[in-house]
Amino acid sequence: MTWQPDNRVALENDGARLEIVDKITGKAKYTTDYYPEGMLWAGYLRCPYGKARLRGADIDAARAIPGVLEAEITREEGRYAGERMGHVCAESREALERARRAVAMQWDIETPSIDLTRARTPFEEVADPPNQPRIARALGGATYIHEQEYETQVQTHTCLEPHIGLVDYRGDHALAWGSTQGTFSFRNELAEALDLSPDAVEFNCEHVGGGFGSKFGMGAEGELAARMSKKYGRPCRVGLDRKEEHLDAGLRPGSRQYMRAGVNAEGELQAARIHTWGSVGFSGGGGGVSNPGRYRFGIVGKSHEDVHLNSGFPRAMRSPGHPQGMFAVELFLDEVAAALDIDPIDIRRANDRDDVRKAMLDAGAGLIGWERRQPNGAGAGTLKRGFGIGVADWMNMPGAATVDLDLFPNGAVEVRSGAQDIGTGFRTLLADCVASVLGAPRDRIKAKVGRSSYPPGPASGGSVTSRFAAPKAMGAARRAREALLELVAEEWGVAPDALDIAGGRVTGPGQTMDWAEACGLIPEDRLAFRVNDNDEFWRPPTSSQTVQFVELTVDVETGIVRVEKVVALQEVGLPVNRHACENQITGGVIQGLSFALFENRLLSRHNGAMLNPNMDMYKIAGPADVPEIVTVLWRSQEDPAVNSLGEPPVIPTPGAIACAVYNAIGVPVRSLPITPDKVLAALDEKGAQA
Amino acid sequence: MNRFDYDIAESLDAAIQAQDGGSVYKAGGMDLLDLMKEGVLQPGRVVSLHRVPDLAVIEVREDGLRIGALATLADLGRNEALRARYGALHTAAAHAATPQVRERATLGGNLCQRPRCWYYRNIEFNCLKKGGGTCYAYDGENQYHAIFGVGPCYIVHPSNCAPALVAMDAVFHLQGKNGAREVPARDFFVSPRERLDAENVLAPDEALTHVHVPVRPEQSATIELREKQSFDWPLVIASVARVQGRWRVCLGAVAPVPWVAEAAEALLEDKEITPELAAEAGEAAADGANPMSGNAYKVKLVKTAVKRALLRASGEEARA
Repeated sequence: MTWQPDNRVALENDGARLEIVDKITGKAKYTTDYYPEGMLWAGYLRCPYGKARLRGADIDAARAIPGVLEAEITREEGRYAGERMGHVCAESREALERARRAVAMQWDIETPSIDLTRARTPFEEVADPPNQPRIARALGGATYIHEQEYETQVQTHTCLEPHIGLVDYRGDHALAWGSTQGTFSFRNELAEALDLSPDAVEFNCEHVGGGFGSKFGMGAEGELAARMSKKYGRPCRVGLDRKEEHLDAGLRPGSRQYMRAGVNAEGELQAARIHTWGSVGFSGGGGGVSNPGRYRFGIVGKSHEDVHLNSGFPRAMRSPGHPQGMFAVELFLDEVAAALDIDPIDIRRANDRDDVRKAMLDAGAGLIGWERRQPNGAGAGTLKRGFGIGVADWMNMPGAATVDLDLFPNGAVEVRSGAQDIGTGFRTLLADCVASVLGAPRDRIKAKVGRSSYPPGPASGGSVTSRFAAPKAMGAARRAREALLELVAEEWGVAPDALDIAGGRVTGPGQTMDWAEACGLIPEDRLAFRVNDNDEFWRPPTSSQTVQFVELTVDVETGIVRVEKVVALQEVGLPVNRHACENQITGGVIQGLSFALFENRLLSRHNGAMLNPNMDMYKIAGPADVPEIVTVLWRSQEDPAVNSLGEPPVIPTPGAIACAVYNAIGVPVRSLPITPDKVLAALDEKGAQA
Repeated sequence: MNRFDYDIAESLDAAIQAQDGGSVYKAGGMDLLDLMKEGVLQPGRVVSLHRVPDLAVIEVREDGLRIGALATLADLGRNEALRARYGALHTAAAHAATPQVRERATLGGNLCQRPRCWYYRNIEFNCLKKGGGTCYAYDGENQYHAIFGVGPCYIVHPSNCAPALVAMDAVFHLQGKNGAREVPARDFFVSPRERLDAENVLAPDEALTHVHVPVRPEQSATIELREKQSFDWPLVIASVARVQGRWRVCLGAVAPVPWVAEAAEALLEDKEITPELAAEAGEAAADGANPMSGNAYKVKLVKTAVKRALLRASGEEARA
């Protein structure tokens, strides 16, 4: 006998996040809240400049500060502001801070390379792709050829909970805490650093304050904490302050994107030559840009250059490469549409390869009121209204996870996964999956996550945590349900398949039993289940589609852009908890909006130091900047599995905003963030041409 | 942050007496703590004014307005009489920063906060204001810097409330070891040409205790233009007030001091505002602007902000 997850329960479940009261009241403990007895404080000495050589330092002064156990300088050449040059370990935070100041490092500062446009290979010198002759032939037959360059800025991770590691080495084993997206990747790296077997490291990340791709391993923080803890045989913490978090915790790299493409009279793209540049650290890569994407460009010649700068390093950031790529792609498409006098929806219909998205385009147009859209720049008055569209998708593949479920005679249910809840609502997802399949009352379900002693689960990257773990939670719940129904069937002397459980009540022919009574039939301490297969709760790989519509106003006397409304249509497969799903979508939209209009890591041209390494000068969208966001949980499959949701909603927003600004003022702003100075400059340029 | 002594003064006199060479006053602490965390300021002693009686007073009377330096921006925002009679100041206070900040931030702190220039705020730059030899903004990142009264240091005065108080001809009451004195708001702020290490006339031991607006303006308004609508420093502030018939126009976030737009005042005199006159005054307010590489856009914002402030103050505000 098989049960489908109760889609009705899943869809209509508006239950609050399981740990919400703990988080609001401060009961939820993050790594920074742990102060084990005898804890040491360690931190890095950093180069404050983009390119500098250490001329001198008073390391003895640092060592002389009371409470300082050690201070070392291990590098002399700084290659980006924030680079780790050495470290201090001390008895207290105050001693650590005093020592870091007392070192008084002196530098010979050189001119840093911080400008992507200056440092890149000019397009004229970039080698043609192998298919250049074919592209040229196809462009030769095009009705219209459009050529433009687009620019995106650096966005820092600046996690709300800064990066932190806390390690308590005890000889044959260790306890550790950390802010991470990967319980087991953090644990494994720590074990290696401490020369312990992974099972000898007990790692805890029960609460994590945000991770968008910069918190996979133990990081430099875990590394130093482990080294000091092992050396001194005491617990040691290493946590970044806000400035360090901006400088050395990862970023979304900046980009330049050259695009040249031709269309036929119907607006169908025939061929494209695309070259992108990504700004990366002084070495290594990670600057890739997902351009082209999502639309059929015909014959494509794509090349890319990672450009090394005296800058912090890229780290994967919520759909790495995609928001910046789709910003350029969407705006390029709208510029072509304008040149051909085609509606932006029609040019997308002509070039989109996905039928689900085409249906979403129709639905979204109705919800945003697309019929109110006027031709680019045609609105009257000072406050110009604009509309724009962005699209995205994300692949859904299955993956490994294990879930434990215990069912107790008093009716309590405990579901466990070692995977982490980085703020997405993973706990809530586990509980709601169990509630849907097992039929248990939601308030009897406790979900425990984020400990290495719990069963293994994935790191949260690529939007996998829910889709890997949900089938296993449902499978465990199905087995628990079968076992419980067998007990009740035996009690009643009927066949198990004549019984049902829903909403905490067992029903059979002519009789019912409440949850507590049914569980009271369990003859042991508990019924325990461990599931690591997908069973019937997985479906063949699909992709989750996304379409967003933006409505905004631009004040042409001030250049200030106000986004008024975003309609976000999002395929999520089976939406397990409406609040959590909507939370992911609105979060993606807000982060995309913040990237499109505000965020911008600025480095000094004089010395490469970061000018805005704090939360007031590094501008992030606040409550009054957030528009009305209408989320639509889109169902295109009859009976879907739980699909990806973390990354796709952030991808379309910047492009949709850029298109809407273009629609409002009649001239494109091809550089993010779209700030008042750029809007006014674009309007001036337009005025000069008119 | 450095180690420091913390002194909670029970009276103004005690607070003043507690000042020695390395002390600072603390009101809400919004600005001070950031400066101390970065190491830009390292005071040996912090003297809290919070328990000093009478410093949080807000008196809106027919014959004028009296506000203590420790009145919070939130209290000003909640004051209906202020909203009705001193709109320029009310708007500035009620929309600064965030609701959370406004509950803590004080009027005195808003007026005496240090510049938000990123070269001043980061210890990696030994700029002119910190005793160095260079203003980095001049050939650096200067999109938020001054377009008026420039040089040798290109900060802008960040106070939301100062332009309104200057426009309303407020008088500031100061008290220090040498006694009390009154300084017109227009003379309280000093340009970097006169003084690089501070932005006002306060002696190290002096505290701003009260602000007095002796004459209620017949009309007034403030317009702030910002990139973000939550928690952002204005790009341009325009406060206008009609005092005893004559228009006053003061700009914020465009010069090292609250910037009196004299050409606009001369044009407006005591005239009734029309849309045409408001636009002309906006143009006049931009007289003498001298932008740098990255902040020419602020000239246009000045024109718009002054025009809109005049239209709002006079009830002529027509929404586009």
